[in-house]
Amino acid sequence: MHKRSVISAGALLLATSMTLTACGTRGGDSGGGSEGGGDSGDKVAKIGVIAPLSGDLSALGKGIENSVDLAIKQANEEGGIEGWTLEIAPEDDQANPDVGKNAASKLAGDKDVVGVVGTLNSSVAGTVAPVLDTAKIVQVSPANTGVSLTKGEDAENPSRPYANYFRTCTTDAVQGPFAARYLYEEAGIKKVATIHDKKAYGQGLVESFTEEFEKLGGEIVAAETINPDDDKYDAVVTSVKAKKPDAVYYGGEYPQAGPLSQQMKAQGLKVPLMGGDGIFSPEFIKLAGKTSNGDLATSIGAPTEKLESAQAFVDAYEGGGYSDDYEAYGAQSYDAANAIIEALKVSLKDAETAEDARQATIDAMADVTFDGATGKVAFDEFGDTTTRVLTAYEVKDGEWTDVNTEEFK
Amino acid sequence: MDQFLQQLVNGLTIGSLYALIAVGYTVVYGIVQLINFAHGEIFMIGAFGALSTYLILFQGQTSLWVLPFLVLGAMAASVGVAVLTERVAYRPLRGAGRLAPLITAIGISVFLQEFVRLFYDKVPGLDFPSAKQKIPFPQIEVVTGPAIELGPVTIQRAAVFTIGCLIMCGAALWWFINRTRTGRGMQAVSQDPDTAKLMGINVDRVIVVAFAVGAALAAIAGVAQGLLNTNINFKMGFIAGLKAFTAAVLGGIGNVWGAILGGLVLGVLETLAVQFLPGGSPWKDVWAFALLILVLVFRPQGLLGAKVVDRA
Amino acid sequence: MSTITSSSTTTGRERLGLRLALAGGALLLVSGLLSWSFEPIFGDISIRLWPVSLQVFAMLIGLTAVALALSPTVLRRALGWVHAGPGLWALGIGATAYTALSLAAIAVEAGGLINANEGAWIALVGALLLLGGGWMVRDRPRAPEAFSAQGPATVEIVTIVAICALALAAAAYALGRDDAWVFVLFLLTLGVIGTALARAEVFEWLGGAAGRHQHVLTLGAFAAAFLFPFTQDGSEINMSIATLVLIFAATAIGLNIVVGLAGLLDLGYIAFLGAGAYVGAIFSGSVSSSIGWTPPFLVTALMGGLFAALLGLIVGSPTLRVSGDYLAIVTLAFGEIFRLAMFNLDGNNGPDLTNGPNGITAIPNLSILGFDFGESHTIAGVELSRAANYYLFMLFITALIVLIFARLNNSRIGRGWVAIREDERAAEAMGVNVFGLKLLAFAGGAFLAGVAGTVKAHYDTSVTPDQYQFLESAFLLAAVVLGGMGTIAGVILGAVVLKLMPEKLRFFSEYRLLLFGLLLVIMMRFRPEGLVANKRRQLELHDDDQDRAAQTDRSPQTKEALQ
Repeated sequence: MHKRSVISAGALLLATSMTLTACGTRGGDSGGGSEGGGDSGDKVAKIGVIAPLSGDLSALGKGIENSVDLAIKQANEEGGIEGWTLEIAPEDDQANPDVGKNAASKLAGDKDVVGVVGTLNSSVAGTVAPVLDTAKIVQVSPANTGVSLTKGEDAENPSRPYANYFRTCTTDAVQGPFAARYLYEEAGIKKVATIHDKKAYGQGLVESFTEEFEKLGGEIVAAETINPDDDKYDAVVTSVKAKKPDAVYYGGEYPQAGPLSQQMKAQGLKVPLMGGDGIFSPEFIKLAGKTSNGDLATSIGAPTEKLESAQAFVDAYEGGGYSDDYEAYGAQSYDAANAIIEALKVSLKDAETAEDARQATIDAMADVTFDGATGKVAFDEFGDTTTRVLTAYEVKDGEWTDVNTEEFK
Repeated sequence: MDQFLQQLVNGLTIGSLYALIAVGYTVVYGIVQLINFAHGEIFMIGAFGALSTYLILFQGQTSLWVLPFLVLGAMAASVGVAVLTERVAYRPLRGAGRLAPLITAIGISVFLQEFVRLFYDKVPGLDFPSAKQKIPFPQIEVVTGPAIELGPVTIQRAAVFTIGCLIMCGAALWWFINRTRTGRGMQAVSQDPDTAKLMGINVDRVIVVAFAVGAALAAIAGVAQGLLNTNINFKMGFIAGLKAFTAAVLGGIGNVWGAILGGLVLGVLETLAVQFLPGGSPWKDVWAFALLILVLVFRPQGLLGAKVVDRA
Repeated sequence: MSTITSSSTTTGRERLGLRLALAGGALLLVSGLLSWSFEPIFGDISIRLWPVSLQVFAMLIGLTAVALALSPTVLRRALGWVHAGPGLWALGIGATAYTALSLAAIAVEAGGLINANEGAWIALVGALLLLGGGWMVRDRPRAPEAFSAQGPATVEIVTIVAICALALAAAAYALGRDDAWVFVLFLLTLGVIGTALARAEVFEWLGGAAGRHQHVLTLGAFAAAFLFPFTQDGSEINMSIATLVLIFAATAIGLNIVVGLAGLLDLGYIAFLGAGAYVGAIFSGSVSSSIGWTPPFLVTALMGGLFAALLGLIVGSPTLRVSGDYLAIVTLAFGEIFRLAMFNLDGNNGPDLTNGPNGITAIPNLSILGFDFGESHTIAGVELSRAANYYLFMLFITALIVLIFARLNNSRIGRGWVAIREDERAAEAMGVNVFGLKLLAFAGGAFLAGVAGTVKAHYDTSVTPDQYQFLESAFLLAAVVLGGMGTIAGVILGAVVLKLMPEKLRFFSEYRLLLFGLLLVIMMRFRPEGLVANKRRQLELHDDDQDRAAQTDRSPQTKEALQ
């Protein structure tokens, strides 16, 4: 008796559920249909942003989001792509790889999304890029400096892991050595201690720095790590101080670098702290306090304020009424968004729907060249930027002041 | 040897913070057998209370006379929130077993963290910074500034302040517990609540006082941490709270002097472990938690022995 | 449980109340056919005689109201056993809340209350009538001996199956809602109707029916869950949400053994899921793993489970000496140690094993017996996406876990656990091997979590220490507490609520943790036993021996698990 009732129950269940869900689908369709369609009758294509919009690094993330927003607004005003209206689709990754992956899945599921600007963190890009690659959505990062994202895990035999991935910033492979040369050649410092936060970005930076610094003849007197969740770095500072370095090179971001600089100096280790673009933020100086004068950072591109090409961006940004500063990656993000828009001009022309244009956009990226806010924007066969200009900054009187801009060779 | 001395000083500094917070765990546990998991958040709220006081009343000031007001502001915030949570969340659960209050405490902990994170910059009429990132803490003359060099050892001024606070609070606590009526009432309740009640002691009031005393010390620790690290954030209470709980267990939970001793021992062991065990500073918390487990398993009564027998 | 056996004489006031409620329900039904707004929002609620979204929900509430209001009179034959009074009262409150929120939604979306059309207002009037009627009949006694009412077997089976199908349809529909308002209002509708039916003691009858046809129910529920991917038409997002919910639920059921059955509070449980995930990732053949060996997945899954179980034994061993909240702290400390150890084993601060904070990424998809989980497969004309493959696989594992849980729970071991939970010393005195059983709870729960973890690693394609922080343990615990300790249905419900809500409600995601903290406090204060309370205690209190025998014979846990 049981057996028969089970079978009939199964059949009944199948039938009922199919009918029921059929009803559900119709409701859903009519719900979706009324949403689309603006006033102009233009089709919509969205450029996503994946960046930390909340949390410790939100200052940088907001700068990225706003700069992309600015580029999109300008493109729409200029009548950028005929028959299409561009929109921004920002997603928060909280600087966390898993949150970033969900954000990427969300954007990949949105049929209007044709490109994504982001991420800030290389570690987040590690989970975002594969998702977007599968969905054939072009991704242009303004800030990922992890080498493996474009050249693969094996540095000897580079092979591009994600065909959809491009970036407008130079990598750790350039930034670390640039810092090493600055310290050794310009500042005349021969003994350095390194500290990093164990994340892909910080570790990569310290590794490439160490290699170059030792090649130049300098000495790494201590190599330490910290847990970025900690607030207090006394123990590390004490052991570094005992090795008497002339400078500390830190691989990581400003929420840790600021307090670290302050605690170093409070403990009597009065040497400059140097870091990469992750500490190049006014927030660093706020957290590090008055004793941060003399601290150093490298960043990508020439100083935004001084570059003629960037002036238009800075003016437009300031006129845009954004409540947050454009921060370290504003100009790169603006260029990244414009690179996507340039590619869309090619790919959207013949496309029926935004989804159809995805692969064509990736193909078009390889040929994009234009003069952006940070200089000439173009990509090599790995998706890396062809521009390798870097700048060293020093904290003077509570502000970042550029001390050296150079093309890295 | 120089490094050993330096790490000893570092350990005593961080240990003093743990000790100040640990007292709150221990007095509450001694009286109601509740692990007030949210106590770490009370410490965090103290730091934010001090910051708010500074931003409202003394913006731009760096003189030493501001400091007592910051401490008072911190205490007001901490004690207020602690007493409120006791009244609203814990009191209705008294006698409801042990699981429910502990889960409630976790809930309060998450709630308070998020509340500060989301709404600190949304206080109407006040221009507070967003608590979603680390916020710089005001620097006060005399207690911050150039470190004191004592031969090979460097001592931060804020560290002197922290250790000084612990000594003063210890003395005040001794006086309070042994010389005041309320303090002796607390002792009585922790030894035998039922008899204490029969003797005319208002148990509810004693419990509120226990929460308030713990919160006041945590508030002082909050100010001290702000001065030491020069920044505060909404997450600072979680790990600090766990460490302080470890300290309380290490010293013998329920025993006030044990909590202070436990805090200092934990701070010193932790810093020395970083210096002398392989792996470096990221393992710091692992050593602390491993110590907690070892103590709980092999000597649950702690170093000084709990005054209160575990009635579980 | 008190069964009032007074005769069902209906007073005049009650008669009026029933009529008011009937009128209210009818108005709600009618309102669904009218226009709710001048704007074509929410799937166009402006059209008459074409009910969609909000209008349909109002009609569902109205239908329930009519059925309840008619149950003592016209429908006495079929529904006379229903406890209409409290049901209508709850429905009245809920309907009022629903219509009020609907008006708010229309006002927000269309720009002002002025845009609400006659249908919405009529619905509000109906809801208020229902509220008034419900208030009048709220103390109406239940009909005599209705509780044990037993319908024909076919009717009961059909009802059970229909409910499974309805649950499936509701889940598919809810997941398909992109509009947050519609989603919230739909959940509210379900909540209102569910509460009203619970108050009307419909679930008591269902419980009886489910107990009598337990196999049908179990199979029906799993069939519904199995059919779910076929209703999604290849939607990757919905399936990935569903898969996340399943992984979370499977882990929470494992935790339920430790907390719900054995009463040992574990605040570091996520570490076991993490242990499994790390084993899965390290032996997956990922480029960022430092170990090149890639055994077949079934071996890896077993290894993951065993490794987690080993950790479970280590964590469980202090239970010999510490108990209660001390144990909770030991487990919390252990969870943190696990996370930090994974964080540090990256070659900088220890052996290179886990790649530290960057985690093991680019984990390849599962491939079992030639079936590649990364590819889409077309079955019965429906495309099953990558997430759907994992969903079905996780469903299989969840079914195994549910089976194990139910068997354990109903065995000597399960009764031993409950004995320990209730009174450890008494249990020991009665000859229960307390320490051994506690260890078994820890190791068993950990094993299940470890196996789920190995699948999670492949599904997520990356494993990082951050995924296994304390908050996640708190979330698991919350799923158990929210749903109801010791029950499977409760835990699954809790998992769905905790995982689905933040995914669908974007605006809410910022306040997710705040509400989560508040929820824990409120639950502990007002309903510490959870939404779906464990029936074992109720059964113990029930004095109808025959009934008890009938129910316990048929494993009450699986029964209530699926109702």
